[in-house]
Amino acid sequence: MNREDKLDLAGQYVLGLLDEADAKRFETTCAQDPELAGMAAQFAGQMSRLDETAAPMGYRADLWTRIEQQLITAPRTEAAPVLPLQARRKTAPPGGWWPLAASVLVALGAGYLAGTTVTRTATPTMIAVLLNEADASPAVIIEVFADDSVRLVPLESFAAPQGQVLQVWTLPDPATGPVSLGTLPAARDIRLAGPSLPPPEAGQLYEITLEPFPGSPTGRPTGPILVKGFAKPPLN
Amino acid sequence: MPEAHETRSLLERIAKGDRSALALLFDHEAGRLVAIARRIVRRQDLAEEVVQDAFVAVWQRAAQFDAARGNAMAWLITIVRHRALNLLRDGGRMDYHDGETLAALGDRSLDALNAFDALAEGDALKTCLGQLDEFKRRAILLCYVTGLSHGEVAATLDAPLGTVKAWIRRGTLSLQECLS
Repeated sequence: MNREDKLDLAGQYVLGLLDEADAKRFETTCAQDPELAGMAAQFAGQMSRLDETAAPMGYRADLWTRIEQQLITAPRTEAAPVLPLQARRKTAPPGGWWPLAASVLVALGAGYLAGTTVTRTATPTMIAVLLNEADASPAVIIEVFADDSVRLVPLESFAAPQGQVLQVWTLPDPATGPVSLGTLPAARDIRLAGPSLPPPEAGQLYEITLEPFPGSPTGRPTGPILVKGFAKPPLN
Repeated sequence: MPEAHETRSLLERIAKGDRSALALLFDHEAGRLVAIARRIVRRQDLAEEVVQDAFVAVWQRAAQFDAARGNAMAWLITIVRHRALNLLRDGGRMDYHDGETLAALGDRSLDALNAFDALAEGDALKTCLGQLDEFKRRAILLCYVTGLSHGEVAATLDAPLGTVKAWIRRGTLSLQECLS
Protein backbone atom coordinates (compact mmCIF):
# COMPACT_ATOMS: atom_id res chain seq x y z
CA MET A 1 0.00 0.00 0.00
CA ASN A 2 1.27 3.47 -0.79
CA ARG A 3 0.73 6.40 1.53
CA GLU A 4 -2.50 7.54 -0.14
CA ASP A 5 -3.98 4.03 0.00
CA LYS A 6 -3.18 3.92 3.69
CA LEU A 7 -4.70 7.33 4.36
CA ASP A 8 -7.79 6.28 2.44
CA LEU A 9 -8.16 3.05 4.39
CA ALA A 10 -7.52 4.76 7.74
CA GLY A 11 -10.09 7.41 6.77
CA GLN A 12 -12.75 4.83 5.95
CA TYR A 13 -12.04 3.01 9.18
CA VAL A 14 -12.40 6.15 11.28
CA LEU A 15 -15.57 7.24 9.47
CA GLY A 16 -17.07 3.83 10.22
CA LEU A 17 -17.43 2.83 6.58
CA LEU A 18 -15.72 -0.56 6.82
CA ASP A 19 -17.96 -3.51 7.61
CA GLU A 20 -17.16 -5.57 10.69
CA ALA A 21 -14.92 -8.08 8.89
CA ASP A 22 -12.94 -5.37 7.08
CA ALA A 23 -12.63 -3.34 10.29
CA LYS A 24 -11.19 -6.41 12.06
CA ARG A 25 -8.78 -6.97 9.20
CA PHE A 26 -7.75 -3.33 9.38
CA GLU A 27 -7.01 -3.65 13.11
CA THR A 28 -4.93 -6.76 12.49
CA THR A 29 -2.95 -4.95 9.79
CA CYS A 30 -2.41 -2.01 12.15
CA ALA A 31 -0.73 -4.31 14.65
CA GLN A 32 2.03 -4.85 12.09
CA ASP A 33 2.00 -1.44 10.44
CA PRO A 34 2.75 1.41 12.85
CA GLU A 35 2.39 4.01 10.09
CA LEU A 36 -1.17 2.88 9.33
CA ALA A 37 -2.00 2.64 13.03
CA GLY A 38 -0.62 6.14 13.55
CA MET A 39 -2.73 7.56 10.71
CA ALA A 40 -5.90 6.03 12.13
CA ALA A 41 -5.14 7.12 15.71
CA GLN A 42 -4.34 10.66 14.61
CA PHE A 43 -7.43 11.04 12.44
CA ALA A 44 -9.68 9.43 15.08
CA GLY A 45 -8.30 11.81 17.69
CA GLN A 46 -9.02 14.81 15.47
CA MET A 47 -12.50 13.68 14.45
CA SER A 48 -13.46 12.95 18.07
CA ARG A 49 -13.78 16.72 18.54
CA LEU A 50 -17.12 16.29 16.77
CA ASP A 51 -18.23 13.73 19.36
CA GLU A 52 -17.20 16.02 22.16
CA THR A 53 -19.81 18.53 20.97
CA ALA A 54 -22.60 16.13 22.05
CA ALA A 55 -24.48 17.47 25.07
CA PRO A 56 -24.66 14.86 27.87
CA MET A 57 -27.95 12.97 28.09
CA GLY A 58 -29.65 11.19 30.95
CA TYR A 59 -29.69 7.41 31.29
CA ARG A 60 -31.45 4.75 33.32
CA ALA A 61 -30.61 4.79 37.01
CA ASP A 62 -29.37 1.20 37.12
CA LEU A 63 -26.97 1.45 34.19
CA TRP A 64 -23.89 1.35 36.44
CA THR A 65 -25.26 -1.60 38.43
CA ARG A 66 -25.73 -3.54 35.21
CA ILE A 67 -22.15 -2.82 34.20
CA GLU A 68 -20.84 -3.88 37.61
CA GLN A 69 -22.68 -7.20 37.38
CA GLN A 70 -21.04 -7.92 34.06
CA LEU A 71 -17.58 -7.15 35.44
CA ILE A 72 -17.65 -10.12 37.80
CA THR A 73 -17.15 -12.56 34.98
CA ALA A 74 -15.57 -10.36 32.31
CA PRO A 75 -12.11 -11.63 31.37
CA ARG A 76 -9.45 -8.95 31.19
CA THR A 77 -6.54 -8.42 28.85
CA GLU A 78 -3.54 -7.84 31.05
CA ALA A 79 -0.74 -5.37 30.70
CA ALA A 80 2.27 -7.34 29.54
CA PRO A 81 4.65 -6.79 32.48
CA VAL A 82 2.36 -8.07 35.24
CA LEU A 83 3.27 -11.72 35.14
CA PRO A 84 5.41 -14.12 33.19
CA LEU A 85 2.21 -16.05 32.51
CA GLN A 86 0.89 -13.53 29.99
CA ALA A 87 3.19 -13.23 27.06
CA ARG A 88 5.01 -16.49 27.22
CA ARG A 89 3.04 -18.38 24.62
CA LYS A 90 3.18 -15.63 22.07
CA THR A 91 6.91 -15.71 21.43
CA ALA A 92 9.13 -18.70 21.98
CA PRO A 93 11.81 -17.93 24.57
CA PRO A 94 15.46 -18.33 23.57
CA GLY A 95 16.15 -22.04 23.71
CA GLY A 96 12.64 -22.91 22.55
CA TRP A 97 10.00 -24.51 24.71
CA TRP A 98 12.28 -26.62 26.83
CA PRO A 99 12.37 -24.36 29.93
CA LEU A 100 8.57 -24.15 29.94
CA ALA A 101 8.20 -27.88 29.45
CA ALA A 102 10.59 -28.44 32.32
CA SER A 103 8.66 -26.15 34.65
CA VAL A 104 5.40 -27.90 33.80
CA LEU A 105 6.97 -31.27 34.54
CA VAL A 106 8.26 -30.01 37.86
CA ALA A 107 4.84 -28.65 38.73
CA LEU A 108 3.15 -31.91 37.78
CA GLY A 109 5.71 -33.92 39.69
CA ALA A 110 5.27 -31.85 42.83
CA GLY A 111 1.52 -32.14 42.49
CA TYR A 112 1.66 -35.86 42.15
CA LEU A 113 3.82 -36.32 45.24
CA ALA A 114 1.78 -33.95 47.36
CA GLY A 115 -1.38 -35.57 46.10
CA THR A 116 -0.41 -39.00 47.35
CA THR A 117 -0.08 -37.70 50.87
CA VAL A 118 -2.81 -35.08 50.96
CA THR A 119 -5.75 -36.41 49.05
CA ARG A 120 -5.74 -40.15 49.42
CA THR A 121 -8.56 -40.06 51.92
CA ALA A 122 -10.99 -38.08 49.78
CA THR A 123 -12.19 -37.88 46.22
CA PRO A 124 -13.11 -34.44 44.91
CA THR A 125 -16.78 -33.71 44.39
CA MET A 126 -15.99 -31.20 41.67
CA ILE A 127 -13.05 -30.44 39.43
CA ALA A 128 -12.41 -27.20 37.59
CA VAL A 129 -9.71 -26.66 35.00
CA LEU A 130 -8.78 -22.99 35.09
CA LEU A 131 -7.61 -21.55 31.81
CA ASN A 132 -4.99 -18.87 31.41
CA GLU A 133 -6.84 -15.70 30.36
CA ALA A 134 -3.99 -14.74 28.04
CA ASP A 135 -4.17 -17.72 25.70
CA ALA A 136 -6.85 -20.06 27.08
CA SER A 137 -4.35 -22.81 27.88
CA PRO A 138 -4.99 -24.94 31.00
CA ALA A 139 -3.04 -23.40 33.89
CA VAL A 140 -4.45 -24.73 37.17
CA ILE A 141 -6.65 -27.64 38.22
CA ILE A 142 -8.90 -27.07 41.23
CA GLU A 143 -10.33 -30.03 43.10
CA VAL A 144 -13.21 -29.28 45.45
CA PHE A 145 -13.88 -31.56 48.40
CA ALA A 146 -16.99 -32.19 50.44
CA ASP A 147 -15.38 -30.58 53.52
CA ASP A 148 -15.22 -27.16 51.73
CA SER A 149 -11.49 -27.45 51.12
CA VAL A 150 -10.03 -27.04 47.66
CA ARG A 151 -6.77 -28.32 46.25
CA LEU A 152 -4.86 -26.35 43.66
CA VAL A 153 -2.70 -28.20 41.15
CA PRO A 154 -0.81 -25.72 38.97
CA LEU A 155 0.05 -26.77 35.42
CA GLU A 156 2.06 -23.63 34.79
CA SER A 157 4.26 -21.79 37.21
CA PHE A 158 3.29 -18.21 37.92
CA ALA A 159 3.69 -15.87 40.84
CA ALA A 160 2.39 -12.54 42.10
CA PRO A 161 4.79 -9.61 41.79
CA GLN A 162 6.19 -8.00 44.95
CA GLY A 163 3.47 -6.52 47.15
CA GLN A 164 0.68 -8.56 45.59
CA VAL A 165 -0.91 -11.95 46.11
CA LEU A 166 -2.84 -14.49 44.08
CA GLN A 167 -6.37 -14.81 45.42
CA VAL A 168 -8.62 -17.77 44.69
CA TRP A 169 -12.35 -17.13 44.28
CA THR A 170 -15.53 -18.96 43.57
CA LEU A 171 -18.98 -17.69 42.67
CA PRO A 172 -21.53 -19.92 44.48
CA ASP A 173 -24.35 -17.77 43.13
CA PRO A 174 -24.52 -14.31 41.57
CA ALA A 175 -26.62 -12.94 44.44
CA THR A 176 -23.92 -13.70 47.03
CA GLY A 177 -21.14 -12.60 44.69
CA PRO A 178 -17.62 -13.99 44.59
CA VAL A 179 -16.27 -15.64 47.77
CA SER A 180 -12.56 -15.81 48.58
CA LEU A 181 -11.13 -19.28 49.12
CA GLY A 182 -7.69 -18.06 50.13
CA THR A 183 -4.52 -16.30 49.00
CA LEU A 184 -1.03 -17.42 48.10
CA PRO A 185 2.12 -15.75 46.74
CA ALA A 186 2.70 -18.18 43.90
CA ALA A 187 0.83 -21.01 42.20
CA ARG A 188 1.77 -24.27 43.87
CA ASP A 189 0.17 -27.52 44.88
CA ILE A 190 -1.70 -26.56 47.99
CA ARG A 191 -4.87 -27.36 49.89
CA LEU A 192 -6.92 -24.36 51.04
CA ALA A 193 -9.42 -24.81 53.87
CA GLY A 194 -12.03 -22.49 52.31
CA PRO A 195 -15.06 -20.98 54.06
CA SER A 196 -18.19 -23.00 54.69
CA LEU A 197 -20.20 -22.94 51.47
CA PRO A 198 -23.09 -24.86 49.95
CA PRO A 199 -21.89 -27.84 47.90
CA PRO A 200 -20.57 -26.52 44.58
CA GLU A 201 -22.73 -26.97 41.53
CA ALA A 202 -21.70 -28.01 38.05
CA GLY A 203 -20.75 -24.90 36.13
CA GLN A 204 -19.73 -22.93 39.23
CA LEU A 205 -17.06 -20.36 38.49
CA TYR A 206 -13.56 -20.57 39.98
CA GLU A 207 -10.93 -17.96 39.30
CA ILE A 208 -7.62 -16.57 40.52
CA THR A 209 -7.07 -12.82 40.50
CA LEU A 210 -4.08 -10.66 41.29
CA GLU A 211 -4.71 -8.57 44.42
CA PRO A 212 -2.74 -6.19 46.61
CA PHE A 213 -1.08 -7.86 49.63
CA PRO A 214 -2.50 -9.28 51.91
CA GLY A 215 -5.66 -9.79 49.85
CA SER A 216 -8.47 -7.87 48.14
CA PRO A 217 -9.24 -4.73 50.20
CA THR A 218 -12.94 -4.96 49.36
CA GLY A 219 -13.50 -8.69 49.85
CA ARG A 220 -14.39 -8.89 46.16
CA PRO A 221 -12.04 -9.40 43.21
CA THR A 222 -10.52 -6.05 42.32
CA GLY A 223 -7.53 -7.10 40.24
CA PRO A 224 -7.12 -8.73 36.86
CA ILE A 225 -8.32 -12.31 36.39
CA LEU A 226 -5.35 -14.56 35.66
CA VAL A 227 -7.02 -17.93 35.29
CA LYS A 228 -10.67 -18.93 35.25
CA GLY A 229 -12.75 -22.07 34.80
CA PHE A 230 -16.00 -23.81 35.60
CA ALA A 231 -16.58 -26.81 37.85
CA LYS A 232 -17.62 -30.22 36.61
CA PRO A 233 -18.26 -33.35 38.66
CA PRO A 234 -15.81 -36.21 38.00
CA LEU A 235 -17.31 -39.45 36.63
CA ASN A 236 -17.36 -42.18 39.22
CA MET B 1 -15.80 17.72 31.28
CA PRO B 2 -12.71 16.50 33.16
CA GLU B 3 -9.24 17.32 31.93
CA ALA B 4 -7.62 14.95 29.47
CA HIS B 5 -4.93 13.97 31.94
CA GLU B 6 -7.62 13.00 34.43
CA THR B 7 -9.24 10.58 31.97
CA ARG B 8 -5.79 9.16 31.24
CA SER B 9 -4.93 8.61 34.88
CA LEU B 10 -8.31 6.93 35.43
CA LEU B 11 -7.56 4.57 32.53
CA GLU B 12 -4.19 3.76 34.07
CA ARG B 13 -5.87 2.89 37.36
CA ILE B 14 -8.50 0.81 35.55
CA ALA B 15 -5.73 -1.08 33.78
CA LYS B 16 -4.41 -2.05 37.22
CA GLY B 17 -7.83 -3.39 38.19
CA ASP B 18 -9.18 -0.42 40.17
CA ARG B 19 -12.96 -0.60 39.92
CA SER B 20 -13.51 2.68 41.73
CA ALA B 21 -11.65 4.39 38.87
CA LEU B 22 -14.05 2.79 36.41
CA ALA B 23 -16.98 4.07 38.49
CA LEU B 24 -15.50 7.59 38.43
CA LEU B 25 -15.00 7.42 34.68
CA PHE B 26 -18.62 6.34 34.35
CA ASP B 27 -19.82 9.26 36.48
CA HIS B 28 -17.78 11.73 34.42
CA GLU B 29 -18.48 10.45 30.95
CA ALA B 30 -21.56 8.20 30.73
CA GLY B 31 -23.97 11.03 29.86
CA ARG B 32 -21.89 12.29 26.97
CA LEU B 33 -21.13 8.78 25.71
CA VAL B 34 -24.86 7.97 25.72
CA ALA B 35 -25.40 11.11 23.62
CA ILE B 36 -22.64 10.12 21.18
CA ALA B 37 -24.05 6.60 20.82
CA ARG B 38 -27.54 7.96 20.37
CA ARG B 39 -26.53 10.10 17.41
CA ILE B 40 -25.66 6.78 15.74
CA VAL B 41 -28.19 4.22 17.03
CA ARG B 42 -31.01 6.77 17.54
CA ARG B 43 -32.83 4.87 20.30
CA GLN B 44 -32.19 5.65 23.97
CA ASP B 45 -32.35 1.98 25.06
CA LEU B 46 -29.85 0.94 22.40
CA ALA B 47 -27.55 3.87 23.24
CA GLU B 48 -27.52 2.76 26.88
CA GLU B 49 -26.79 -0.80 25.82
CA VAL B 50 -23.85 0.48 23.76
CA VAL B 51 -22.45 2.40 26.73
CA GLN B 52 -22.93 -0.59 29.02
CA ASP B 53 -20.95 -2.83 26.64
CA ALA B 54 -18.37 -0.10 26.16
CA PHE B 55 -17.61 0.20 29.89
CA VAL B 56 -17.23 -3.57 30.20
CA ALA B 57 -14.84 -3.38 27.24
CA VAL B 58 -12.92 -0.53 28.89
CA TRP B 59 -12.54 -2.68 32.01
CA GLN B 60 -11.30 -5.58 29.92
CA ARG B 61 -9.01 -3.64 27.62
CA ALA B 62 -7.74 -0.64 29.59
CA ALA B 63 -4.31 -2.28 29.63
CA GLN B 64 -4.20 -1.93 25.86
CA PHE B 65 -4.60 1.83 25.99
CA ASP B 66 -1.30 3.32 24.95
CA ALA B 67 -1.00 6.82 26.38
CA ALA B 68 1.92 7.53 24.06
CA ARG B 69 -0.17 6.94 20.96
CA GLY B 70 -3.53 8.48 21.52
CA ASN B 71 -5.57 10.59 23.87
CA ALA B 72 -7.69 8.84 26.46
CA MET B 73 -11.00 10.48 25.59
CA ALA B 74 -10.58 9.64 21.89
CA TRP B 75 -9.87 6.03 22.86
CA LEU B 76 -13.04 5.89 24.94
CA ILE B 77 -15.07 7.49 22.15
CA THR B 78 -13.64 5.03 19.62
CA ILE B 79 -14.85 2.10 21.71
CA VAL B 80 -18.34 3.58 21.98
CA ARG B 81 -18.47 4.40 18.27
CA HIS B 82 -17.43 0.88 17.27
CA ARG B 83 -20.06 -0.70 19.48
CA ALA B 84 -22.70 1.66 18.13
CA LEU B 85 -21.71 1.07 14.51
CA ASN B 86 -21.66 -2.71 14.99
CA LEU B 87 -25.14 -2.58 16.47
CA LEU B 88 -26.27 -0.49 13.53
CA ARG B 89 -24.67 -2.79 10.95
CA ASP B 90 -26.18 -5.86 12.62
CA GLY B 91 -29.32 -4.25 11.37
CA GLY B 92 -32.20 -6.31 12.65
CA ARG B 93 -33.28 -4.01 15.42
CA MET B 94 -32.85 -0.78 13.53
CA ASP B 95 -35.83 -1.07 11.17
CA TYR B 96 -37.77 2.09 10.58
CA HIS B 97 -41.29 2.09 9.31
CA ASP B 98 -41.42 3.59 5.83
CA GLY B 99 -43.14 6.72 7.04
CA GLU B 100 -40.39 7.35 9.58
CA THR B 101 -37.47 6.88 7.24
CA LEU B 102 -37.32 10.32 5.70
CA ALA B 103 -37.92 12.12 8.95
CA ALA B 104 -35.24 9.98 10.60
CA LEU B 105 -32.75 10.78 7.88
CA GLY B 106 -33.66 14.46 8.22
CA ASP B 107 -32.90 14.34 11.97
CA ARG B 108 -29.57 12.81 11.23
CA SER B 109 -28.68 15.53 8.78
CA LEU B 110 -29.44 18.07 11.47
CA ASP B 111 -27.36 16.24 14.11
CA ALA B 112 -24.43 16.10 11.73
CA LEU B 113 -24.60 19.81 10.88
CA ASN B 114 -25.09 20.80 14.51
CA ALA B 115 -21.95 18.91 15.50
CA PHE B 116 -19.99 20.84 12.88
CA ASP B 117 -21.47 24.19 13.96
CA ALA B 118 -20.67 23.42 17.60
CA LEU B 119 -16.94 23.03 16.92
CA ALA B 120 -15.01 25.96 18.33
CA GLU B 121 -14.00 28.67 15.88
CA GLY B 122 -10.29 28.27 15.32
CA ASP B 123 -10.44 24.49 15.85
CA ALA B 124 -8.30 23.01 13.08
CA LEU B 125 -11.00 20.46 12.35
CA LYS B 126 -13.56 23.20 11.80
CA THR B 127 -11.18 25.11 9.54
CA CYS B 128 -10.29 22.05 7.48
CA LEU B 129 -13.88 20.81 7.19
CA GLY B 130 -14.87 24.33 6.24
CA GLN B 131 -12.45 24.27 3.32
CA LEU B 132 -14.22 21.27 1.73
CA ASP B 133 -17.05 21.61 -0.80
CA GLU B 134 -20.36 21.60 0.96
CA PHE B 135 -21.38 18.17 -0.34
CA LYS B 136 -18.12 16.53 0.63
CA ARG B 137 -18.34 18.08 4.08
CA ARG B 138 -21.94 16.98 4.60
CA ALA B 139 -21.20 13.46 3.37
CA ILE B 140 -18.28 13.10 5.77
CA LEU B 141 -20.25 14.50 8.70
CA LEU B 142 -23.16 12.15 8.00
CA CYS B 143 -20.84 9.16 8.01
CA TYR B 144 -18.88 10.12 11.07
CA VAL B 145 -21.39 11.79 13.35
CA THR B 146 -24.47 9.70 12.61
CA GLY B 147 -22.94 6.48 11.28
CA LEU B 148 -24.66 6.50 7.89
CA SER B 149 -23.43 4.08 5.21
CA HIS B 150 -22.47 5.18 1.69
CA GLY B 151 -25.96 4.21 0.48
CA GLU B 152 -27.74 6.13 3.22
CA VAL B 153 -25.64 9.22 2.56
CA ALA B 154 -26.53 8.94 -1.13
CA ALA B 155 -30.23 8.77 -0.23
CA THR B 156 -29.95 11.68 2.19
CA LEU B 157 -28.07 13.92 -0.25
CA ASP B 158 -30.10 12.64 -3.20
CA ALA B 159 -26.94 11.92 -5.19
CA PRO B 160 -25.71 8.83 -7.09
CA LEU B 161 -23.88 6.27 -4.99
CA GLY B 162 -20.69 6.39 -7.07
CA THR B 163 -20.54 10.17 -6.77
CA VAL B 164 -21.03 10.01 -3.00
CA LYS B 165 -18.26 7.42 -2.64
CA ALA B 166 -15.91 9.66 -4.61
CA TRP B 167 -16.87 12.73 -2.51
CA ILE B 168 -16.16 10.88 0.70
CA ARG B 169 -12.87 9.44 -0.52
CA ARG B 170 -11.52 12.71 -1.94
CA GLY B 171 -12.93 14.75 0.92
CA THR B 172 -11.44 12.52 3.60
CA LEU B 173 -7.99 12.56 1.97
CA SER B 174 -8.08 16.38 1.72
CA LEU B 175 -9.20 16.59 5.32
CA GLN B 176 -6.37 14.33 6.55
CA GLU B 177 -3.80 16.30 4.56
CA CYS B 178 -5.16 19.58 5.90
CA LEU B 179 -5.07 18.30 9.50
CA SER B 180 -1.59 16.81 9.36
